[in-house]
Amino acid sequence: MGVKGVNQGHGAVVPPTEQKLSDEMDVTKKKYLRGGEANLEVLKDKKLKGQLAVREALHLKTAQAAANAEKYLLPSEEGYLEPEGLEKTWRIKQDSIAPAVDILSARNQYDIVVPDLGPYRLDFTPSGRYMMVGGHKGHLAIVDMKQMSLIKEFQVRETVRDVVFLHDETMFAAAQKKYPYIYNRDGTELHCLKEHGAALRLRYLEQHRLLASINEYGQLHYQDVTDGRMIGSYRTGFGRTDVMQVNRHNALLALGHSGGKVTMWSPTSSSAVIEMLCHKGPISAIAFHPTNRDLMATSGKEKKVKLWDMRNLKGPLQTLPGQAETLDFSQKGLLARGTGSFLQVLRDSSGTQKYEKYMTHPLVKGYQIEKVLFRPYEDVLCIGHSMGWSSILIPGSGNPNFDTWVANPFETPKQRREREVHSLLDKLPPETIMFDPTKIGTVKPPRKEKPTKEEKEAELEAALEVAKDIVPKKKTKGRSKPSKMKKKKQEIIANAKRPFLEQQMKEDEQMARKKQKGMEQVELPTSLQRFARKKVTI
Amino acid sequence: MAETKRKTRDDGSRQRSSSKKPKTSKKGKSADKAERRGPRLPNALRKELDRLNPRTADSDEEIGSDEEALGQDLYEYEEGLPEEESKKNRRFDPVDNLDYELPEDFEDENVSSDDDNEARNGGESEADDEVKEENDGRRIGEMPTQTVEGRRKKMNNVVVSEAYPESEYNPTRDMLEGEGALSIGDLLDPLQGKHGYSKLKKRVRILDKKSTPIQAPLPKPVQQRLERNAAYDKSKEELRKWEPIVKRNREAPTIYFDDDRDLGPSSVGTIASEFEPRTEFEKKMASLLYDDEVMDAHRKDGSRLLELNKVSAEDEKDRQNRIAKMRSLLFRHELKSKHIKNIKSKTYHRLLKKDKLKANSLQSQMDPEASKELAMKQEYERAKERMTLRHKGSSKWAKRIKERGLDVQDDGTRAAIAEQQHLHAQLTRKMNSMKDSDTSSNDTSDDDDVDVNSDDEDRASKLLEKAKEKTLKLLNEDNEVPNSGVLSLPFMNEAAAEEAKLALQEYESWANQLGDSGGGNPKVGRPSGRMVFNGKDAPESSKKTKSDNKNRSDNYYGDSDSDSEDDLEPISISQHGKYRSNELMKDANISPVLLHEDSENHKDSFFKQNTDGSVQDPGPQATHEVSIFASGTWRKMKNGNDANANANAKKSPAPLQSVELDQSVQEPVKDLDVDSDADSEGQMVDGVLSAVPEPSYELPSQEELIRQAFAADNVEDEFKKTKEDILNEENPEPEKPVLLPGWGQWTNIQKKKGIPSYMQIEHDSAKKKREEALKQRKDANLKHVIISEKPPNKKSQNLFTQSLPYPFTSKEVFEQSIRMPLGPEFNPASMVGALNRPEVVKKSGVIIKPIEFEEVNAYEKLEGHKKSGQKHKKNRKSKSNSNSGKNMTKLKTK
Repeated sequence: MGVKGVNQGHGAVVPPTEQKLSDEMDVTKKKYLRGGEANLEVLKDKKLKGQLAVREALHLKTAQAAANAEKYLLPSEEGYLEPEGLEKTWRIKQDSIAPAVDILSARNQYDIVVPDLGPYRLDFTPSGRYMMVGGHKGHLAIVDMKQMSLIKEFQVRETVRDVVFLHDETMFAAAQKKYPYIYNRDGTELHCLKEHGAALRLRYLEQHRLLASINEYGQLHYQDVTDGRMIGSYRTGFGRTDVMQVNRHNALLALGHSGGKVTMWSPTSSSAVIEMLCHKGPISAIAFHPTNRDLMATSGKEKKVKLWDMRNLKGPLQTLPGQAETLDFSQKGLLARGTGSFLQVLRDSSGTQKYEKYMTHPLVKGYQIEKVLFRPYEDVLCIGHSMGWSSILIPGSGNPNFDTWVANPFETPKQRREREVHSLLDKLPPETIMFDPTKIGTVKPPRKEKPTKEEKEAELEAALEVAKDIVPKKKTKGRSKPSKMKKKKQEIIANAKRPFLEQQMKEDEQMARKKQKGMEQVELPTSLQRFARKKVTI
Repeated sequence: MAETKRKTRDDGSRQRSSSKKPKTSKKGKSADKAERRGPRLPNALRKELDRLNPRTADSDEEIGSDEEALGQDLYEYEEGLPEEESKKNRRFDPVDNLDYELPEDFEDENVSSDDDNEARNGGESEADDEVKEENDGRRIGEMPTQTVEGRRKKMNNVVVSEAYPESEYNPTRDMLEGEGALSIGDLLDPLQGKHGYSKLKKRVRILDKKSTPIQAPLPKPVQQRLERNAAYDKSKEELRKWEPIVKRNREAPTIYFDDDRDLGPSSVGTIASEFEPRTEFEKKMASLLYDDEVMDAHRKDGSRLLELNKVSAEDEKDRQNRIAKMRSLLFRHELKSKHIKNIKSKTYHRLLKKDKLKANSLQSQMDPEASKELAMKQEYERAKERMTLRHKGSSKWAKRIKERGLDVQDDGTRAAIAEQQHLHAQLTRKMNSMKDSDTSSNDTSDDDDVDVNSDDEDRASKLLEKAKEKTLKLLNEDNEVPNSGVLSLPFMNEAAAEEAKLALQEYESWANQLGDSGGGNPKVGRPSGRMVFNGKDAPESSKKTKSDNKNRSDNYYGDSDSDSEDDLEPISISQHGKYRSNELMKDANISPVLLHEDSENHKDSFFKQNTDGSVQDPGPQATHEVSIFASGTWRKMKNGNDANANANAKKSPAPLQSVELDQSVQEPVKDLDVDSDADSEGQMVDGVLSAVPEPSYELPSQEELIRQAFAADNVEDEFKKTKEDILNEENPEPEKPVLLPGWGQWTNIQKKKGIPSYMQIEHDSAKKKREEALKQRKDANLKHVIISEKPPNKKSQNLFTQSLPYPFTSKEVFEQSIRMPLGPEFNPASMVGALNRPEVVKKSGVIIKPIEFEEVNAYEKLEGHKKSGQKHKKNRKSKSNSNSGKNMTKLKTK
């Protein structure tokens, strides 16, 4: 057995050949080209072609530079457990990992036992530096994970159902018995969000700065935390649920319902953007892959865990047996699932999105896992359970290279302030939350339009043609007299025209009505009305 | 008048001599004029003629413009051609007028200008001219100008006697008449027989043969057009050499106008090297710095520098002294300021003290050790005070003030004395006395209130006894029958009696239990179980209890369960709620305490309670008091009213866990994965809960249980149904064709025919339309997915482009072109600049110079210009806006 460099990537890396290197470079380059070059041959406009060619060349260069940067500036690779011979990675216990890793990493194995204050829920800041814990019985605490020191701990003396950090560690929200509250780092209550009601789950949409909650009546609320506006409050209509997760790629909120349904919501539409029937039993957990934008995991109470590709909703990618009360993807794509007092981590070792068992970790019998959460940028998995919380090492879970511009674990207060201002300026409007946000900026999708005037006319023409072509039957007893035939023909044509004319009339009427309405609305202020020319009423 | 005729055609006419001189260059026209003129008359005679016959002038109008110009001739005289001029028979020798040409340098004093002559001579001079011409006799026949050979050009220098210059518009009369043409042969004739004549003739003939007549000049516009064309071609050629430069500028994504300007010295070193000492001070410094000795020392190993640096001992001592003095001064100053800073006002100290006290008390509350310490400290102080009585007023100061009398003192002193006394009182007070008073007060206000921390068994037994008494009392009271209302009815009475009996029985059994199991020891019931007391509390205590509830929410238990534990009791109470008097309510009604041995029973009761919750009496004012035996400690909780308690119990089922968990009952719902298939796969193994100290386990609420239990029923069908509903909402299904009942059913035949065909067709087409619409949906092929087709938000419409931007014609290419992000967040820093460079880079203040010519290879690939101001030496001027396609290029050709 060997532990390959926990987060430091100092394991024995086989020196790759030149060929392999260039291949790798090509792969990363392709990644940064974001979907390949455009086919410029189609273009007839020479000038545009020239411009685009210059642009493409620049893009190619950029991708090359980015690939280089990734190669040279992000040198660390994530480690992983490597079994030797008959060994199985999931037989490896935490205490056998401990001696193989460095001291700093070994420090991350611990259990905090707080027996009285009920199952704990956890949340991390994006940098993974701070952890928020919320005990069901009202115990709230912020922990600095780097120094392993308690920043603030207090009791709200109320049920706490969920906790979530807002943009950084200075503020957090807690869903309490009646309302969610926002506290600052010192435990001062800043806001009471009464409109949300008794929220069961809270989620924070980082880019949009929205706090989303689902309350016990199944109502979904979105509130802008920068200016306090309620962006949306919708009745889901699917009953009470406490399964809520946010897709970081498109910021849609996914709710799991008792009917085995997963619905995805955006703050701008009153109905679910997507409804999927994922399971036969009630949904017990949802998780989204943080980097692979298309991967979703759901678990149902019928003891199934399913992995979904969001591009192809026809069926699950993979169905795993077993129950999961809580699911979480790590930055590198490991999937943790917990149920009862048992925890399992799955890994996509082959890179083909076939998840296999990677590690297991039984808690002390009787501990009930409430939430599992990978710590960002560390190979650490935190488990909130009924007796406190625990932290274990899962090699290869965290991203070994952090980008200080994105999430800096060593952030100074000054940097934090700077970032806060920047992120405020970069705040996205809530309309940008849609199923495929890459479509933003492209040409507007064509609306289902009413038929144009010409189309209508063409239709009418066609109908008339048909009507004219009808050859009347030859009848006897003077019924086929020319005069009668002509009359008949006219009648047929009139009949063919009728539906079109009727529709036309209807439309005209509607237009007139609309116009009138508009006219009525445009009224002068009362003080000026006496000067207006009076209409002559007949 | 006459002068007009004299217009010369050529500059040559300038050489015309004055009137008296024989006209040498005269020819052609003048002869022509002459032939139509009569003989010259003297002026006097002419005048006479004028006077006599003015009409005659009019008559010769038709003669021509010449005649008219002459005007006033009396008669018309057609002078025949002189013999020699007719040239018909070459009788006369032709005269070569070249012979008569004046030498080039010939000049006459009288000659000034034509105008002068004319002005001076008037009509007379011109008349003389005419005469001269006549007399010349050397006239040369008229020659059409067109045919004049090069060497005869001079003959053209003739005085033009026409009103207009001869041109294609104004041909001479000869030309029009076609006669009088003079050929070269004519001119050569006189040379016949002379030496070289034949040669000349031959040459002329050859010339004649070869030469074509010179074309008439092209019309002016055409001529000009041709000229312009030629000029255009020429300039086009000229400009072509600029093409590569312009092309390069047009195609360049960015154009730079940053000339290399002299920015001055680039480093501090260069600035320093150019430094020249100017002021006296600077010079002095320089002389020291660049002292030869020093420089030498530097250049060598530097040992001499030490020698040069030598300082005398006195100097050093002086320096040290000075520094020491300064230091001590500084130190003193510092001390002083520190002292000053430390002096604080009285209020400051008072506040500080207060703060400290507060902090202490807080700390003591938070930390058990600190509180212990504090208690110790207080105890010590108390003991000290009791021994010394320091604050009793026995101090010297206090005594003196007392002697003086308190009334005389100012407020501060009085307050100080009062504080001392207060402190004394505080410190010397008996501790247990305080406790006593507390309990007594509690007793008075609320009989059953017991301190939480009083866990001595005596207290427990006492309480039990009290409860017993009260129960008895209540039971006795219950026996009194109300006189009126529903409860006075006989059956109610009976029921009441029965109930009372039951209650009594229960009470007895309970008392027995207590008697034999507990007696004086309340712990006996169960070591870790709980005893639940239920009673009604005085309403005035409800407020307090509420707050208590909150505080100890984690260890209070639903109270109503104690009602429901025995089914009869609570219901009866609720039914007889009306007859409860106020007094009754005030009294504690302790329901039988059930010391359940078996937890099943307990659990049952829990469920019952939950279900019964709503049935229970809606407005019982009674408050319950629940006291709990928990692991040997007395904990006492008070509840508000029933409703409150009920609600609490419902909302937080969690507290019940501990009751259950010690029975090692595993909840089946959560333990879902303990099943065979999971086990066999070895995936999830979950143990059964066993003797874990206190695993808190959340029992799902009732509705959740139900939801879970029935959730899996036919979710697929349900989903299908909802999807269908949604589809129908958008595209409603066409109604089935129906006839109005009774219509069209008169006969059997009609009935048999059924619905008319047109209805059927209509229905079918509507159906087809709907199906097509459904096929258009994104989720048409996805059975388990509904994708909302609602039109997107109006605001989100703004995130898309309304139409393809101009130069693009294909949507794919456009979308491909915007796929790359440009910001610094997404790109390496080295490329961000290149990706976002503007079309024109120009430093402010730089003059844009006109473009200059340079050799450019038109086929070389455009290299991305590195933006390096200094290196970029091409200062060409061309501002090309590559996007808009406008190219404004100023050209300066060198």
